[in-house]
Amino acid sequence: MTETLQSEIPAASPGPLAGVRVLDVATVVAAPFCATVMGEFGADVIKVEQPKGGDTLRKFGTPTSRGDTLTWLSEARNKRSITLDLRAEEGAQVFKDLVAQADVLCENFRTGTLEKWGLGWDVLHDINPRLVMLRITGYGQTGPYRDRPGFARIAHAVGGLAYLTGMPRGTPMTPGSTTLADYMTGLYGCIGVLIALRHRDITGEGQYIDAALYESVFRCTEELASTYSLHRTVRERTGSQQNDFACPHGHFSTHDGKWVAISCATDQLFARLAEAMRQPELALPANYGVQRTRLARAVEVNEIVRDWCVSLDRAEILRRCEETGTPAGPLNNIADIFGDRQVHSRRNLVSIDAEDINEVVVAPAPVPRLSETPGSIRSLGPSLGQHTDEVLREVLGFDAERLDELRASKVI
Amino acid sequence: MVHPASASEAMSEQSTVDGASTSAGETALPLAGLRVIDVGNFLAGPYAASILGEFGAEVIKVEHPNGGDPLRRFGTASRDPDTTLNWLNEARNRKSITLNLPTPQGLEIFKRLIDKSDVLVENFRPGTAESWGLGWPEVHAMNPSIVMLRVSGYGQTGPYRRRSGSGHIAQAFGGLNYLAGFPGETPVLPGTVPIGDYIASLFGAIGVLVALRHKDQTGRGQLVDVGTYEAVLRVLEEIAPAYAMYGKIREREGAGSFIAVPHGHFRTADNKWVAIACTTDKMFERLSVAMGRPDLAAKDLYGDQSKRLAAREIVNRHVIDWVGSLSRTEVLHSCLSESVPVGNVNSIADIFEDPHFIARGNLVSRNEEDYGEVVVPGVIPALSKTPGRISGLGPKLGNANQDVLGALLGMASEEIEQLRKKHII
Repeated sequence: MTETLQSEIPAASPGPLAGVRVLDVATVVAAPFCATVMGEFGADVIKVEQPKGGDTLRKFGTPTSRGDTLTWLSEARNKRSITLDLRAEEGAQVFKDLVAQADVLCENFRTGTLEKWGLGWDVLHDINPRLVMLRITGYGQTGPYRDRPGFARIAHAVGGLAYLTGMPRGTPMTPGSTTLADYMTGLYGCIGVLIALRHRDITGEGQYIDAALYESVFRCTEELASTYSLHRTVRERTGSQQNDFACPHGHFSTHDGKWVAISCATDQLFARLAEAMRQPELALPANYGVQRTRLARAVEVNEIVRDWCVSLDRAEILRRCEETGTPAGPLNNIADIFGDRQVHSRRNLVSIDAEDINEVVVAPAPVPRLSETPGSIRSLGPSLGQHTDEVLREVLGFDAERLDELRASKVI
Repeated sequence: MVHPASASEAMSEQSTVDGASTSAGETALPLAGLRVIDVGNFLAGPYAASILGEFGAEVIKVEHPNGGDPLRRFGTASRDPDTTLNWLNEARNRKSITLNLPTPQGLEIFKRLIDKSDVLVENFRPGTAESWGLGWPEVHAMNPSIVMLRVSGYGQTGPYRRRSGSGHIAQAFGGLNYLAGFPGETPVLPGTVPIGDYIASLFGAIGVLVALRHKDQTGRGQLVDVGTYEAVLRVLEEIAPAYAMYGKIREREGAGSFIAVPHGHFRTADNKWVAIACTTDKMFERLSVAMGRPDLAAKDLYGDQSKRLAAREIVNRHVIDWVGSLSRTEVLHSCLSESVPVGNVNSIADIFEDPHFIARGNLVSRNEEDYGEVVVPGVIPALSKTPGRISGLGPKLGNANQDVLGALLGMASEEIEQLRKKHII
């Protein structure tokens, strides 16, 4: 297994976001993922956590001997952790002092929470007019549902993605991963932050970004809304095949009990598949050569492709598809991915020596790949409060006495 | 079909679906002044350009004179049978020019465009741009400060780089499709939309914005290389670390979750669906109150997540029976009054009825010349001072030929006419 991995933490280059200080006071995946991506490209990310237990992401997933989960070690990469009780008056004051020294603040409390602690946008903007603040919630900062609790699962449902996942008329299913909306909103948030930073650098003017989990999912439903508006057609679940616009387009099981995805968006691609199947006559215009015909007779076409797939092992199907330029690929599970030459060659999995738990942790490498200023994983998720003293000394100039006081009063 | 440049500037009305008109102060757009060349097809990559366009970048779509981007024909027809709603929606905020790229004259014009641009977006199969002399070293030499975004199924390097990889294939390769469906059963599509193409584009847009920042500081451009499969793999939580450390292979989890119960989709008495997500014991306690069964949350019964996970079917059965006895409205009301995380499993018809989508401006209605009313998703994320905007839907093929070749590249009308006759544009 190790041969598929690259043992590397790239030499620390300053990175294109060096000099940008990000306060990440958020929890779990959504807004923190924005900070994670920024950290990979060199931003200084300070994770601000409740002294008691910290970010709940530390408990989300598979625990390590340190207590923190693998999700935490991987996704809190490159961050420095400080503890701070924002509910305490003194903690809120320290937080304001940090905000005064920050470029970006990421938060995803339920709406009104920061306001309740006297730390809403108006207050923070007054303290630091150059601040860019990312606010992520289930439903956004406005609208009738703004106060409802929202998780990614709810967002997949509300945003229309869950409805489209599953067998026709069957139970709507999870669209592959229960945190998809969290990650996607972290990405949208990051785009918003980078745009706002650009505006800030030009004009000196900060702003906030209001992102909702359900919106990220809904934005990625292609023409779903336009089609409903014009034709009142409601797109339904279609199981493992989707033959509204392309056929074949779906999942097929193979002789060795695995799965492949095959997708022929054009007639040319179907002709290549017919060639891979050694049945070029299928692509004659009189047979199934024309997309319109294939869509109308999708059941037949899928049956023919299914019969072919189930007659051969996955490797052979993929070999023939590659040979003919047919769009096909395996439905990889994580074991397949670890054994894959492309994943190895692209160094998508980085193995890192986690000294404090005496283990090697393998984590997904930064995406995207930049030629001149690539992202990097310089450290894994920190222990709770690992950098409290370091950060408060460095950023706010606190001395030992002040730190002791704050510790004694359980503010940090 | 070539339209005069004025067509792209034709005034069109825009409003959110509640009727409020949205005004956009062009001067406040944060990416104004950036020029993006989008020579991609379909979504993976071009969607990154769409986002840049929403925030004020000038996006010039470069298309083959013979039919242009296949997205124009992929999907549901608009009122114009030759133009899909996919195109109108996702090619928003663009100018279209036609250019027969592999011809020497086409390439020459393309190089002049590169010289005048900040960002180049492409998603050909790796090797195609190289065969035209438009690989990264060449593009970089033409314009050392340009940022080039390349999105492909497998990325620009590695043994599979030249494989044909649509979003659907690449997201299967990246591990997402394996995870959708009931345990042990056929893997289903994770939503009938190419979610991988969108996710790859989001990472691509981030790469471009980061690279532009670097360019502003150093003058040097760079290449942003995204494989759709790796964008998908990157968002799959801890599945890689957990496999490496414990050999744990994540499997399909149907409508539920391995780490929490109840956490899934439930059918209501009126044959609709709701999602309920009790990630913590506290939330289950609230749900049990909403269900009128506070006893279920007792510590020695199902009050602990570990106990609920062990008794998954029994716990789910309680929820299934309760939800199944009420209308969706009633379930929602009961859950929300106890602050239980709940939501409708919305169809698109539900979404159009939903006051929250309307209040947030998520459905934008535009009246377009030749197409009538078209409703598309609004711009996200919402920026408080410099919001994005939709300035136009997918353009007609070559609508900006005159504008771009004439005004930007300084060609005379006769020269442009010659290019048209020779099928270069």
